[in-house]
Amino acid sequence: MDWHQLWEIASAPDNVPIVAMLFLVPFFAWMGFRQARANDKLIDQLEADPQLAKTHHRKTWPWKPHWARELHVWPYLLRIEFLAVLIVTIILYVWSITLNAPLEEPANPNLTMNPSKAPWYFLGLQEMLVYFDPWIAGVVMPTLILVGLMVFPYVDSNPLGVGYYTWKQRKVAIGAFLIGFIMWISLIIIGTFIRGPGWVWFWPGQTWDHNVVLYEINRDLPDIFGITTQPWKGIFGGVVVLLFYVLSGLLIHWIILRSEFEKKIFQRTSLLQYMVFQFFAITVLISMPAKLLARQLFRIKYVWVTTWFNI
Amino acid sequence: MADEVGSEQLEKRAPDTPEPDPIADRSMSGALLVSSLLLIVVMGWSLFDEVIGQRPWKSYQSDFVDKYSTYLKGIKPQQSEAEKEVKDSPEYQELDRAYQGAVKGAESEVKEINSKIRAIDQKVTDITEPFQNARAWVSAKTYELEVAGSESSKKSIQRSIEERRKEKIDISIHNDAGALEDKELDYNELEALYNGLRDEKAQLTARLIEARKEQTEALTERDNYLQNHLTGLTGPQVEQLINKMDKFDYTIKQIHVAEADLVDRCESCHLGVREPVTLTADNKSIGDPAFVSHPNKDLLQIHPPERFGCSTCHGGNGRGTTSVEKAHGRYKHWLWPLYYKENVEAGCNQCHNRDRVTAGADALNQGKDLFQNAGCTGCHRYEGFDRETDALASASQTITQLEMERQARLREIREATDAADKAETNEAARELLRRANSLEQMISKIDNRIDELEIQSKYLMQDRKKVGPNLKEIRAKLRKDWVPVWLRDPQAFRPGTKMPSFRLDDDEIRAISAFIWQSALDVRVAGQPQGDPSHGKELFKTIGCLACHSVDGRAIDLGDGTIGGDFAANLSRVGEKANYDYIVRWIHNPRRRLAPYSPSLKRDLTPADYSQKGQPFVFDEAHSKSPVDGRELLVHNMTVMPNFRLSEQDARDIATFLTSLKRSEPEYPDASFMDDTSLAAQGEILVKRYGCAGCHEIKGLEDEQRIGTELTPEGSKPIERLDFALLTEPAKMGLDPFTGKDVERGKWYDHKGFFENKLRSPGIYDVGKERTPEERLRMPNIYLEEDEITALTTFLLGSVVTALPETIRYSPEGGQKAVQDGWWVVQKYNCMGCHNVLIGQDSVLMGMAMYQTGDGKEQLPPRLTTEGARVNPDWLLKFLKDPSLNNGGGARPVTAQSLAAHLQGEGGQVEQAAYALASQSGANRNGVRAYLKARMPTFNFSPNELQALVNFFMGASSQRQPYIAERLDPLTSDEQGLARALFTSNAAPCLKCHMTGDPAHDAIATAPNFLLAPERLKPAWTERWLVHPELISPGTSMPSQLFVRDDEKDRWIFNGPTPPAFQSYDKDHATLLVRYMFQITPEEQRRLGTGGSSAPAASPVSVNSGPRADRLPRYASVRAP
Repeated sequence: MDWHQLWEIASAPDNVPIVAMLFLVPFFAWMGFRQARANDKLIDQLEADPQLAKTHHRKTWPWKPHWARELHVWPYLLRIEFLAVLIVTIILYVWSITLNAPLEEPANPNLTMNPSKAPWYFLGLQEMLVYFDPWIAGVVMPTLILVGLMVFPYVDSNPLGVGYYTWKQRKVAIGAFLIGFIMWISLIIIGTFIRGPGWVWFWPGQTWDHNVVLYEINRDLPDIFGITTQPWKGIFGGVVVLLFYVLSGLLIHWIILRSEFEKKIFQRTSLLQYMVFQFFAITVLISMPAKLLARQLFRIKYVWVTTWFNI
Repeated sequence: MADEVGSEQLEKRAPDTPEPDPIADRSMSGALLVSSLLLIVVMGWSLFDEVIGQRPWKSYQSDFVDKYSTYLKGIKPQQSEAEKEVKDSPEYQELDRAYQGAVKGAESEVKEINSKIRAIDQKVTDITEPFQNARAWVSAKTYELEVAGSESSKKSIQRSIEERRKEKIDISIHNDAGALEDKELDYNELEALYNGLRDEKAQLTARLIEARKEQTEALTERDNYLQNHLTGLTGPQVEQLINKMDKFDYTIKQIHVAEADLVDRCESCHLGVREPVTLTADNKSIGDPAFVSHPNKDLLQIHPPERFGCSTCHGGNGRGTTSVEKAHGRYKHWLWPLYYKENVEAGCNQCHNRDRVTAGADALNQGKDLFQNAGCTGCHRYEGFDRETDALASASQTITQLEMERQARLREIREATDAADKAETNEAARELLRRANSLEQMISKIDNRIDELEIQSKYLMQDRKKVGPNLKEIRAKLRKDWVPVWLRDPQAFRPGTKMPSFRLDDDEIRAISAFIWQSALDVRVAGQPQGDPSHGKELFKTIGCLACHSVDGRAIDLGDGTIGGDFAANLSRVGEKANYDYIVRWIHNPRRRLAPYSPSLKRDLTPADYSQKGQPFVFDEAHSKSPVDGRELLVHNMTVMPNFRLSEQDARDIATFLTSLKRSEPEYPDASFMDDTSLAAQGEILVKRYGCAGCHEIKGLEDEQRIGTELTPEGSKPIERLDFALLTEPAKMGLDPFTGKDVERGKWYDHKGFFENKLRSPGIYDVGKERTPEERLRMPNIYLEEDEITALTTFLLGSVVTALPETIRYSPEGGQKAVQDGWWVVQKYNCMGCHNVLIGQDSVLMGMAMYQTGDGKEQLPPRLTTEGARVNPDWLLKFLKDPSLNNGGGARPVTAQSLAAHLQGEGGQVEQAAYALASQSGANRNGVRAYLKARMPTFNFSPNELQALVNFFMGASSQRQPYIAERLDPLTSDEQGLARALFTSNAAPCLKCHMTGDPAHDAIATAPNFLLAPERLKPAWTERWLVHPELISPGTSMPSQLFVRDDEKDRWIFNGPTPPAFQSYDKDHATLLVRYMFQITPEEQRRLGTGGSSAPAASPVSVNSGPRADRLPRYASVRAP
């Protein structure tokens, strides 16, 4: 094991945020879920006791005598925020004193650095380039992600679970978000820790050897089935993709409707809302990991090969 | 915090101990306090970091101020003491009195002028304000007038200015008596008064300076005396430095060179660099090596830091101030780290890269010498080195292009003429013919260019040299079975040889030997009778061989150890490998090939080629055109070994001696495989792969390209482009890839590490790689010493593509440029093996024991430090072309016919005879100093190199070109008599040492013949030489103090008894002697020779039948003992 290599990547000033995220993301997820569980319990309690629901003070704390029904922003909220400001300021101070800006040597147009990496927050995008065409990975996917995020409030027909932590009332939204977020962070982690010179896959602890020579053949899916000519390749790929959408849609549908609560929400949802949701869920959340696995496990380069675009 | 909001509702259900509210009841004071305190601490930290942490130079500065002040205070009493001593000396007292006297003498006048100036100043002060007010008003109004739009407004402004000018202004001014006086003046009067006063003051100031001149001069003289007699600083100067330290300004000390976009803050910590006191690392009170003075203050004088900065030469990150590592640039992202101490001269090369020799940069120069002499240029291109090869290739390419162009033009002419024949109108036909005509003229221009290029090709071929011997001649030269032995391990046979070792296996050695043996010319050189080895040994020792070659000291009776220069091969075992007949031929004239090579036909010409055209098989400088196609031939061996113009017998003697040099009678393993033709093809592939043709001339491979990478920009290659191969990763981690231990910077993963490891072991980056022989690194082991590795590394580190502007880089002009151009030639032929060319540089011969004795010193070749001032450039050119000064004449002038006849007669067959020795021009003589046993050899310089050398010597002595000899006044008959008396006087018996042409006398003479002087010397130099020879050539046997200064008449007079006739001669005696020397005739010299001795009259015997016999006759005379 080459710990030196691992340390070199992990300790680079550029990578502080992503290393921090390795710990912060699970921590805050855990914190959120803990709160959500408490709230869910409270919801159960209140649903069981309609009388209590009427007199209950504050949304997220179990009823206790003597507690105020409501609290003022000042000082109860602001003092907490002020404390957070203090702590964040301290962290930023220490960070800026101890780690200088990771400036490098003057650019040399005759020499491309290898590996040539984007800033950490773009490494997910860069990693996507491995799995899709630049046009798809760099333009279509990011656009769909952004549009998908914008569309969410309009396809959401769930009136509950707003303004407090809850899992029971927000299973779909939280689940979808977690999948998407963890996928994105994973891509960044792969880009930061796994990809070495030549964008070759090095496991943590392997030396990033510039002289590394690999034997890897990537094939298009139609080629595996012996389809090598257009337009058959295009047609075959189109059918596969269509099939993938249908199957994924059914899968998502099946998973959602397993919950009684979600069934009720589904009743409130229009067809248009549901189809839009399905489209973005499949395109952004399912197809990306599916392609990653197809590539890494089966060495499949493209599924759908046409003369205009490849997926 | 108590809960005031508690309602009655809650009251009802309240248990005994109500649970506290997690939000409202919780106190956050603790967390807030801790965070606030932490924030304050962190802010304190950031302040500290800002003021001190990021500015480590501040502590350096306070440290320096402490240490330096202490040191200065320590030396102050000492310096004051020394100063007092000087001040007490009578000379100083005298000067001081003179100064005081001057002050006193001028006192009254100075006082008067000063009081006048004060009065004027008072008056000027009085009127300045009113005058300036008025003037400002007028100027502002005038501007308004200039930009006014309409004529009418212009007029009105004009009027108002006029009015204002006439207005009276009230002023009060001191009068001469010193009382205030009110006056009314208009503007013009006021202006006149003001300017008048200022003029008056200027005049008075000038008078004041004049009045003080004497005392100023006296003061300067006194202070200079003090400065010159005091080592180090004076007391007040030390005091000044201490004051400077007291008021030290703690800031970043920055040099900004806008021209080069350079910001250097090195002196923020390195504060002692430019201090007038020399601070060294072993100075105890200074201690810190960061504070030492620049070790070479002269260098700083030529390269003032204000103009050149620091990092231009030293590397490093000049802007960096946050840590030592950052400032020195020794971290991953700074591409130009500080050079290590041993490679510091690499910095010179950035600007001096076009120089072959950079004064003072010894390691860099050694690197360049090695690069040229060790044969690096055979495989690696480097701009400037081995330039003939590249120039030759480009010349031949241009010739090809021009010939194609010529063809095209010819076709156009034909077309134009044809079209003219068919033209419809006379007009059109005439136009076309005119065109054909001008095309014909163009062809003649092309022809001129081709001719010129052909001549240049000839010169370039003449100057082109290879480091190794010509392998076409090895069948004649070598013992066959020695070749594989040599290839196996050249160092074992001849330690220190330039031939590197190629890591060959047995099969490769067999194949290579077979190929080179079979590709060599199959000719046998004429057999030679044995010579006299003891005479040969004597010649070898004395004639100059040892300036380049070395040999075991025991072989030449000079004790143990290797003796001689390392420029050429060590000859200690030459008898074990070489063929005697060939060595005779080689020593006799090393430039003479066995057969000429035609670059156009790409083959060696044979006698048959010549006889087909009915020409004799003769090729030399004068017969360098191919009989087959008329193009230039390569007629010389590409060796720098010169021709010593030996007689046939001397050549045989030396060769006999050399072939007797053996360690033991050699026994080599059988090498019959070398005739196996099936091995040759494999051998050729190997010879090509290893680039043998870079250093050797090999048949069929004359046009091989260099196999190595170009090294001109090697130092600025990004580290990623230097291929450490499998060693990359450990090296990058700062480990030694072989031991796995930590190593310091500069050992592995940087340029220095790469170069040094590569030079130490050129195959090192193949370690661990699975490679076929073809893929392996081809660079051979060169067996360099550590200092040589450092020198080459320095050179390579300095081989950078610079971003500095041309104005900062060294681009000499005129004489300095000539010197730089000349160095390439001087170094190429190892002139410094025999001669002292640079002041302070010793030749190889000067270092040898046999030249240390008094007589030995007389035998040293001349110093050339003032050669340019000494000799006429035209003469020098002639001399360098033919150092025998035979000018093509000689005992048997070589012409094609005579040579051919000579050869025909000797062997009967042309082919056989061609390899006999040809007698050569100017054999066995030195042109100027016949008395020297060392002989100036003939180098066969091309006109290009001749001119470069002459310019070099002229430039080195600051002589301007062209030189036109000044005409000396002819001597009157009186002067002739006087000069003759001087010339022969017992105090200065010139002809006792100088050559006269009499063989018996010349055998003991130690100085050149006077008859050479008019053509050879420059009169101005000659006069300086007569007066002060010891300054020009320390240790010369020319007597110094022949003349003494006569200040009264501003002349030099003879320092010895002079005949009475001199009483009335009031001109310079040295000049008289020079004029005499420059006009001396052979008759005059002969008369002196006989007149000065009581021997019988001499009879002139001319031994020189050359064309210049009338000017350079030789006389024999018998002298009385």
